[in-house]
Amino acid sequence: MSVFKERKGQIIFGIMLIVVLVSALAACHMTGNMGIEKRFTTAVGLPPSEEEEEGVGTFFGFSAEGNPGLYVIILGMLIVGCYAAYRRFRI
Amino acid sequence: MAHIHLEDGSFSLFWVLAWWIVALCLIGLALFLLRSKYKPEPKMITIAAFVTAAAFAIFQVQIPIAGGVHITLTPLIAILTGPVIGTLVVLIVNILSAAIGHGGWGLVGANVLVSFSEVLVAWFVFRGLKKITADLFSRAGIATFAGLFAGNIVMIVVILVSGIQGVNQTTAQILTGLSLIAAINMGVAVIEAFLTGLIVGYIGKIRPDILGDNRK
Repeated sequence: MSVFKERKGQIIFGIMLIVVLVSALAACHMTGNMGIEKRFTTAVGLPPSEEEEEGVGTFFGFSAEGNPGLYVIILGMLIVGCYAAYRRFRI
Repeated sequence: MAHIHLEDGSFSLFWVLAWWIVALCLIGLALFLLRSKYKPEPKMITIAAFVTAAAFAIFQVQIPIAGGVHITLTPLIAILTGPVIGTLVVLIVNILSAAIGHGGWGLVGANVLVSFSEVLVAWFVFRGLKKITADLFSRAGIATFAGLFAGNIVMIVVILVSGIQGVNQTTAQILTGLSLIAAINMGVAVIEAFLTGLIVGYIGKIRPDILGDNRK
């Protein structure tokens, strides 16, 4: 009983983890492998987008959504903003 | 994790405007609270900037699991900044995401609501669990699951209420399809829960003041 009290948080987290993993695996088995866009359009009954470019700009299977050039530019601006905020306000 | 991954034109103009108006009301409320009741400490501006950059950076990366999924970090935003600043952070992340072509502009309003629900629920669960357990990893992990689950529910409700233009699917068919997406999203929430738990646990060890357990 005391073990449960001490580890209540971890036990609840573990139970949630198992439930979530089992349902996710079941759902994955039912739908099969497909990209996010395709999964969504299929779910709501829309025709698949013709612009979908699978495998473009991938790095070990990881890829950036949207325009990679804009992604880098905006991320760079955010990093500059973070640096400025850190210099001004610290943490 | 939840994000309405549809292009502009999927929702009718009425629903695009309706979700935008609701989102703008929330943002207005957040701005009002920031100017009146919850004036942020200066360090909170830096933290908000950091989580915005981190959430934007990671949100655009498609992880090769189950054909492609992504992480949003909304529970981490909630835990580190709270629901008021968190609302503004998710607005910025959603706008910047639409700017690079990740999601339609018309869906930003709806997506802000989805992200807001994740932030709000994760924040309340994280705070509420303080009475039950002191373990930061578990609190953050459970808050992540709860927040992302809420986000998936809101995502499904928004799509079902709005309806999709030009499709012949019944509501039941759409609900089934979206429920499967939600279940897969929750699978990815496992990664996000571990990530959030580890980050929050680490911050709790070195800078517990940042977690703002006593902050409103």
